[in-house]
Amino acid sequence: MTVGVVLAAIWFLRDIAPAPWSDAEIALMQSLWLENLPDLPPDPSNAVADDPRAAALGHRLFLDARLSANGAVSCATCHQPARRFTDGLLKGQAIGQSKRNTPSIVGTAYSPWLYWDGRRDSLWAQALSPLEDPAEHGGDRHLVLNVVAADDHYKAAYEQLFGELPDLSVANARAVDSAFANIGKAIAAFERSILPTTTRFDHYVAAVVAGDADRQQAQFSDDEVRGLRLFMDEANYMQCHNEPLFTNNEFHNTGVLSAVGEVPDIGRAAGLVQVMQDPFNCRGKFSDDSPHRCAELDFARSGPELVGAVRTPSLRNLDGTAPFMHKGQLASLAAVLEHYNEAPDAMIGHNEAEPLGLSRRELRQLEAFLDTLAAPFSAYDDNM
Amino acid sequence: MIRRLPAFCLLLILLVTGQNAAAHGGVVEEDDLCVIKVNYLSAHFKIYQPRVSGHEQFCEDLPVASESVFVMEYQHDSLSVMPIDFRIIRDVTGKGRFARMEDVQEIADLDAATVFYQPATLEPSVYTVLHEFEEEGDFIGIVSATHPDTSKVYAAVFPFEVGFTGWGYWPFIIGLLIVIQLQYLLMSGRLKRWFSGASAVACCLLLVPAYAEAEGLVVTYSTPDGPVEINRMHSWILHVEDADGDAVTGAEIEVDGGMPAHDHGLPTRPRVTREIGDGDYRLDGVRFHMGGHWEISVTVTTDAGSETIVIPLEL
Repeated sequence: MTVGVVLAAIWFLRDIAPAPWSDAEIALMQSLWLENLPDLPPDPSNAVADDPRAAALGHRLFLDARLSANGAVSCATCHQPARRFTDGLLKGQAIGQSKRNTPSIVGTAYSPWLYWDGRRDSLWAQALSPLEDPAEHGGDRHLVLNVVAADDHYKAAYEQLFGELPDLSVANARAVDSAFANIGKAIAAFERSILPTTTRFDHYVAAVVAGDADRQQAQFSDDEVRGLRLFMDEANYMQCHNEPLFTNNEFHNTGVLSAVGEVPDIGRAAGLVQVMQDPFNCRGKFSDDSPHRCAELDFARSGPELVGAVRTPSLRNLDGTAPFMHKGQLASLAAVLEHYNEAPDAMIGHNEAEPLGLSRRELRQLEAFLDTLAAPFSAYDDNM
Repeated sequence: MIRRLPAFCLLLILLVTGQNAAAHGGVVEEDDLCVIKVNYLSAHFKIYQPRVSGHEQFCEDLPVASESVFVMEYQHDSLSVMPIDFRIIRDVTGKGRFARMEDVQEIADLDAATVFYQPATLEPSVYTVLHEFEEEGDFIGIVSATHPDTSKVYAAVFPFEVGFTGWGYWPFIIGLLIVIQLQYLLMSGRLKRWFSGASAVACCLLLVPAYAEAEGLVVTYSTPDGPVEINRMHSWILHVEDADGDAVTGAEIEVDGGMPAHDHGLPTRPRVTREIGDGDYRLDGVRFHMGGHWEISVTVTTDAGSETIVIPLEL
């Protein structure tokens, strides 16, 4: 009898509507709202970062498979616009296989560091790297500049932005490197335009801010509301996945298991060494900022905390981008949530996350909430 | 997770039988940590079989023949500048668990016995190798680190078994558990009193401030770029006064900080870049990457001495 009453009470309570939001919760919610996304930070190292002509040239270069050793690989091979600029694979597949899972490009212009391990410090320095990676585009700077020189449209667009394209048969290394950097800067100008768009979550926050209960109910189910509450209040997710991009763009070790056939990824501990040595970094001679203001490099932190740490990805637009994590180790969002719920000891370094101890039901609610962070696909198809 | 109880029982067994854990090679258990000793240099040692047992750690013996990841996290910085090579051989010494370096050195054809060899590499932060065992059996791991200046080679040898079930110890362990449980039940009254006493001491210790405000320096800060927002690099103006309210000039200032609750530091390494005057110092490169309770420690060094002031911050 007693058991029956308790079960009935549980059954009744599970369907009771979620409690109304507190002021503190509404403030937190607003900190995640796309309306509050700050303006794109300027990139003084790239003089054409916000030049629409550069973005147009960069857009065409982004899609151009001639910029590869086999003529079949473009940036969009892995960063597929229709897949939220990812590829749905464990690791990128181009001429060979990339070392890590293909990250999205959406909103990365906000990040001071690029790549999972932050081994580049600007979008334009990053854009150069795959062009010369044997497993990716497999070409080199000469191949890229030859394609530009041989295409009248490219050449004209390039020279309008950067001045005369060097004659590759006689140009010295410095001139070639400089022109190659310019190609990266044009691609970066395009990538800066790829920004997150409004999602169901953002509509929901707008309804909460307006105090419109009907609109709130139309946007979010009870489970999604509960998932949002768990996300903000109990689940520690906002420590790393904060602000409107749902990322702090910093490096964290969360104890994900090593990928099949690989030793655990050193992550940021190695990436920091690489970015300091990159000739195309903020301090390098190809940066357009003068004098070079490189606070990120100047104040970068090293140390044991960075062993096995990788950059926090955005939680916006996750649907269709599985598998997840830096090597695609986790096949689904449910598996990712399960991983954070357990927070096992890291194979190398120290797992910063702590076990959450959430129930299956709560994990499903969290997943339901995360699904509300996906923008309609068409938003990007129109863009391309 | 290293299985604590078997490790504890193993220790008891070793105490009982009087064997030295280090006698059979370079891997020993210390305070629940598995440690590899490469002569006087040591590293936290662990082995994973991620495909079959996920995050479970093993110290030496491995349950099955599978992909195995060997991890050494250095306890001495010297290992981070020493090229390290890693060899696994089939145990052809006939010594099993008691094989030592001398036994390995007597092997006529080391290469023939070798199932895995990773030539020397320099790994600055952590050393990892992967080997997929094709068969179960007895193996010996050999780790050699070469001193960069003297070229002296430091080595560790650890025999281990792949396909180790661990059942050999269990009857003894279960017996021990029963004894321990009985002991506990007998002593529980006394233990309870002892524990309550201990927690009272812990309470009192907590009341003592974790950081003393030594000579009475006062450090305040202002943020010329506006209120502190997370994820933005910004600057602080630190203002330092002595106990009399007089500005402290010409001080050396070191800044660090972190989130005590999360056991991590700041995402950047802020520095005082300029002394403005009148006790003001410009601190650049400050960034906080999450909301919550932060503590910034400011160490002020003057001719009079050094003092650390902690500034709490809620974001």
